[in-house]
Amino acid sequence: MALNSIWARIRGSSGPPSLTRTTMLNLIGFATWIPVIAWFNLHVAELTVIDGSSMYPFMNADRDSSLRRDVVLNYKWSPQEDLQRGMIVTLRSPFHPETIAVKRVVALEGDVIKTKQPYPVSTVKIPQGHVWVEGDGPPGSSLDSNTYGPVSKRLLTGRVTHIVYPPKKFGPVRWWEHDRPLVE
Amino acid sequence: MISHLIGHPLRFAISTLKITCLAHLTLSHLLQVSPAQGPSMLPTFAVDGDWIAADMTARLGRRIKVGDLVLYKIPIFASQHGVKRVIGLPGDYVSLGTPGERGEDQMIQVPEGHCWIVGDNLPASRDSRQFGPLPLALIQGKIIGKILPWKDRQWASDGLLKIDSK
Repeated sequence: MALNSIWARIRGSSGPPSLTRTTMLNLIGFATWIPVIAWFNLHVAELTVIDGSSMYPFMNADRDSSLRRDVVLNYKWSPQEDLQRGMIVTLRSPFHPETIAVKRVVALEGDVIKTKQPYPVSTVKIPQGHVWVEGDGPPGSSLDSNTYGPVSKRLLTGRVTHIVYPPKKFGPVRWWEHDRPLVE
Repeated sequence: MISHLIGHPLRFAISTLKITCLAHLTLSHLLQVSPAQGPSMLPTFAVDGDWIAADMTARLGRRIKVGDLVLYKIPIFASQHGVKRVIGLPGDYVSLGTPGERGEDQMIQVPEGHCWIVGDNLPASRDSRQFGPLPLALIQGKIIGKILPWKDRQWASDGLLKIDSK
């Protein structure tokens, strides 16, 4: 069988394996794992470095005094399901398709929310399949739903469940402690 | 190679996992062939039975032009996909309504990072006229052609007509 003979040639027929062949086989063996790792990072979980200040002061608290950035665990299994107000999510920015943003879910489908500057109208009812996301920082520091409006849940890529670095903040994200009233 | 796998359940399971993941990544990032259903793209695609191929490297709206057919995630539903035609890109002015009906002269400018999509069969299509501009990030791929039925196979065309300059 042709396949068998190719395999035999790759494995080497006889004699002690040379260093080159061993290295090459190890490299090929590692390369076959790349699709599995990529799939895991896309659909199960990934460690993500947080850039920017839109979740300040909860994340990247010392943004002005050091180059250190927070590292979080981004859980990516079915991010659209069981969403709760207060959860921190990652999403594709509606204005910039190649950018992943991190925001907090403030209102869910059907909620009526009082918007902040610079949104043109003062209250919005969140349409079907959409959520309202905001950064934690002061108004104007984050490009969020107050600029681009409700976002489709299909844009969500994951949910930030744990902080990994720095060590003093290590642990689960206590999103349920966050309180942003829908209507004042 | 076969004897390398037969009789080694763990080795067999790991190889299956690797091949499944490779296939999944190929389908979601390179090329996908899938059946198309529904009346919204008549007469380009039939209501049922057509299989179409999509170039998934055009995901996130990369290299998308006006007139392209796109495979996209329907923004108001949790898990459905659709096929529609792009008629407006960021900065373009498009009609909110349907040609020949009331409201067709209401125009909006497509916002940054979005596109405007409609079906080829306007009366039977749920598209941007209902859910508004579509974020480019929801585009999964660009339709490159129809594969089945084999006798009707063809490349996708943008449907645009050159305006006679005379």
